[in-house]
Amino acid sequence: MAKKNNLGAYNIEDLRLMAKKRLPRGIFGFIDGGAEDHIGVANNREAYRQLKIKNRVLIDVSKRSTKTKIFGKEIAMPFGISPTGSAGIAWYGGEVGLAQAAAKMNVPCTVATNALTSMEDIWEKGGGNLWFQLYMWADKEKSMTFMDRVKATGFETLIVTVDGPVHSNREYNYKNGFASPLKYSATMLAQIMSKPGWLIKVLAQHYLRQGAMKKENYPPELARKITDKESSDKHVKSDSQNWDDIKFIRDMWPGNMLIKGLQSKEDAVLAKKNGLDGVVLSNHGGRYVDCAPAPLQVVAETRAAVGDDFTVIIDSGARRGSDLVKAIACGADMVMSGRPTLFGTAAAGMPGAYRALEIFHVEMDRVMAQLGLNTVDEIGPQIFWNPPEWVPQVEQALRAAAE
Amino acid sequence: MAKARLPRGIFEYVDLGAEDYIALHNNRDAYRSLKIKNRVLVDVSKRSTATEIFGHTIAMPYGISPTASAGLMSEGGEVGLAKAAARMGIPCTAATSALTPMEEIYAKAAKYKDGNLWFQLYMWVDQELRLKFVERIKATGFETLLVTVDGSVGANREHNNRNGYSMPLKYTPKLIAQVLANPGWCARVLAPQFLKRGSFRKANYPAELNSKLSALELDHAHTKPDSQSWDDIKRIRDLWPGNLLVKGLQNVEDAVIAEQNGLQGVVLSNHGGRYLDNAPSPLQVLPEVRKAVGNDFKVILDSGPRRGSDIVKAIALGADMVMSGRPTLYGSAAAGEAGSYRALEIFQTEMDRVMAQLGLNTVDEIGPQIFWNPPDWVPKPPPKLTRAAE
Repeated sequence: MAKKNNLGAYNIEDLRLMAKKRLPRGIFGFIDGGAEDHIGVANNREAYRQLKIKNRVLIDVSKRSTKTKIFGKEIAMPFGISPTGSAGIAWYGGEVGLAQAAAKMNVPCTVATNALTSMEDIWEKGGGNLWFQLYMWADKEKSMTFMDRVKATGFETLIVTVDGPVHSNREYNYKNGFASPLKYSATMLAQIMSKPGWLIKVLAQHYLRQGAMKKENYPPELARKITDKESSDKHVKSDSQNWDDIKFIRDMWPGNMLIKGLQSKEDAVLAKKNGLDGVVLSNHGGRYVDCAPAPLQVVAETRAAVGDDFTVIIDSGARRGSDLVKAIACGADMVMSGRPTLFGTAAAGMPGAYRALEIFHVEMDRVMAQLGLNTVDEIGPQIFWNPPEWVPQVEQALRAAAE
Repeated sequence: MAKARLPRGIFEYVDLGAEDYIALHNNRDAYRSLKIKNRVLVDVSKRSTATEIFGHTIAMPYGISPTASAGLMSEGGEVGLAKAAARMGIPCTAATSALTPMEEIYAKAAKYKDGNLWFQLYMWVDQELRLKFVERIKATGFETLLVTVDGSVGANREHNNRNGYSMPLKYTPKLIAQVLANPGWCARVLAPQFLKRGSFRKANYPAELNSKLSALELDHAHTKPDSQSWDDIKRIRDLWPGNLLVKGLQNVEDAVIAEQNGLQGVVLSNHGGRYLDNAPSPLQVLPEVRKAVGNDFKVILDSGPRRGSDIVKAIALGADMVMSGRPTLYGSAAAGEAGSYRALEIFQTEMDRVMAQLGLNTVDEIGPQIFWNPPDWVPKPPPKLTRAAE
């Protein structure tokens, strides 16, 4: 394979190392790191890695496909890009590149409230199956105006992030001098100067074309440079948020609505009762509660609690095509992930993000063939060898299917 | 020694596995995690590691797995492997993708001492070529055929891409640099090969499947189709009067289907951790497979044994024989036929010693009673044996 096609990256870890090389340390750390002792980050990977799957042989898999459907739309594989606030810091116009890469692969991509490019710009230039991620504003009126804007832009699927009532404890950010509000501390400046490529290609470009980096989706009266002293956070996530706020949004939003950032089946059941279309099980990539289980570990019990007619998506930790297959086998409808395409974006912009998606797709296709599976619907707990107790048991799955 | 003597790309092709090497490491861990208990004051002076497979007595329950790269390890490496196996008195499997033609390997090694040569087959897309090939194998004299069935899609071996080692083999600058960095290998392997036989080629391939390793046409689609199915195996079964096994499965269901299709056995394998990175070790699935098939049905496993004690452990879990590819390849790279033989000798003396330590005189006596505190995938020893141990 020629280098120009694969960028010299054979897996997601390669893209990660390329991103590490190109980004100032504090920024790479912000993307790569997790909360406190990184127990959650490590466990998210370990949960996937420990699951053993058995190949099947002599099954004709020449007509296999990784395609599936989500909310009535066909997608190339059960994978979507998680909302992330920092694609624009990784590469100038990174958010548009993410959306374009997702459109090219035909998977959903989620635009974040905190993006550095406005939702309208991303919608126009990115195209494809775009979802929107919302942080709830403290002010209800602002919420209504904002929702109207999201709706008017054309989004059909809304993910409300609900795991941010308090700040998580990401200690390396303080150490690296990377904090919100962003301060050009001496450490930070030294890190930036040591990566002149990033300084010229990303920071300088942004200043020249758009001025200071800003959370472009914020209403004008709140629009904040990411360096502003007064944190914009007090206007968004608040520790008084509750199900009433969700009901309020549900009443205003006619499209698909999900909440993201829960891990308890009780919360998933409440989400269903409140008329939502689905949930995104997430520990925020190990960035929130350090001792949280991996979403993969709670997906089976969640699926059992909410039934089949409710969309359950998981994020946090998927890095291989086999991980997608394992998540589907445990009961997920789709997997999301933020870092892999961010690493790709930092490495090479849109082609880098696309390379990340391509790696997932090629790997998933290969593993499906190795397991003798032709369609995503065929993926089930029968693929596991000697699974831990949080994996759905084959007998149970068969019984459930029979009932 | 192999690492020191081979260009890096070639050593890693042999040594490494798929993706994150999870399976590669787990294959070793599965063996290493099993504790065995010695027995004392049992007369073991008449012990023997010999056993029987398909009517032949073999020196120990071990055979050489098919590997395509022995010809890259040392000059005429495949013949060296076969001769080493014959001297030891164990089976050796010649590979479809070998760089030496099967007839040459057979002529030089099958009748040599206790020659016991098996053949490994990859199923080609073209039915006619495939069936003609089976006839050729039969005519050469092979009695036991292993059909490798875990290659329906290419494995993801990223180190090969990084090293510029890929099929078809391209002389990329990286590979050339690695080759030149290893003048000993050039003189010992590459130069004699070119002088005697021309460029490396998959010598068993018919002319229709152009076989030079550096040929531009990627042959995977022709040699290991993703449409292969049990119907293809049935056709080979009808043509092949000898022992027929499939290799590369890991699943109880597949083993049962193999038995129902009239095969003589299976080789449980995750291709040495080179195929599906999240696969369990064959050792871990062995007990459930043994339980599901009849006693006459041969269950062989490969992937991971490096010690004589590993062979004893596999037999204790229900295997009829263990196979392995890398140990004799390392030996071949280190010292040709003598190196391959040394690998076999190490297995044999280690197995003999461990049997003595465990108080075992024959291979038949090896059973699950040897384990201390085994994990849940190890079967409990039958009550009779427990009582005998008391």
